[in-house]
Amino acid sequence: MNETNISGAWSALEPSARRRARIETRVFEWLEAAETSLLGEWFGLLKIEPLTVLACVSVGAVALVLLTPVGWMTAILLN
Amino acid sequence: MIGIPAYVVDGELPAERELVSWFKLLSALFGGEVQALDEDAVLQLVERARAGDRAARQRLYRQHVARVFRTVRGMLRSNTEAEDVTQDAMLNVLTSLHRYSPRSGTRFAAWVTAIAVNTARRRFRRKRPELTATGELPDVADPDGDLGDGLDRARQRAALLRALAELEPREREIVSLRYGAELNATEIAAQLKLDAANVRKILERLRARLGERVEARADNGVKP
Repeated sequence: MNETNISGAWSALEPSARRRARIETRVFEWLEAAETSLLGEWFGLLKIEPLTVLACVSVGAVALVLLTPVGWMTAILLN
Repeated sequence: MIGIPAYVVDGELPAERELVSWFKLLSALFGGEVQALDEDAVLQLVERARAGDRAARQRLYRQHVARVFRTVRGMLRSNTEAEDVTQDAMLNVLTSLHRYSPRSGTRFAAWVTAIAVNTARRRFRRKRPELTATGELPDVADPDGDLGDGLDRARQRAALLRALAELEPREREIVSLRYGAELNATEIAAQLKLDAANVRKILERLRARLGERVEARADNGVKP
């Protein structure tokens, strides 16, 4: 076998199209995640699903209002 | 005398052959094959990618990913291992572009390959059995193989991987850099801190050994 034959045989080790696509997806998803700030992700979420974000914020606020006196009462009872 | 249909000789059914040609066409259309760029064009892509051009970064990635996979596949035991190392190495390349400085006579591909080989070595140090030990049978079957891969190609892959498994890790590294990364003897010597003339001698010897073994295995009809 000469140089060309071995080079030809080596081409059988090429990654399959499916494997190539999988690697590319992972690499670029990782890069995108690393380059997007947390604040940017929140703004992105606000842009895509404003109602969901509004619902989450409302539930959070209500929970804070309701749970603060409950927590306070519990602390008094335990003491 | 009964005539043997051509497809029996070729080992493919006519419908399968048609499917294969369609697959190859689609693969070429959707990025399966990438047109190789010359070094100046690659360096321009590097500059643009450094400046934040995402399209340039993606083109740079596509220019080198198959080369990296071919190189580390020759050194590692399985396709899955090679896939993980390729992924880590390409991430390392794309996030370290600012560190690359073109030296005279050193191609960007050589720098990329050095990162890939170091990534494979780090994995080897961390978890030794991941790298094919001499004589150990590698994982030669590829369940993710392309539809366009014929039986001959699968046999060729199996014969080559088994022949590679019989080489020492250092020897596998040298032949992988030559035939997987397509580096010349001077580039390999610079990477492995060896003398170029010595690398040429080693390559000549390894080519003969590898050739003999691949041919012997192919003649014995290695199962893919």
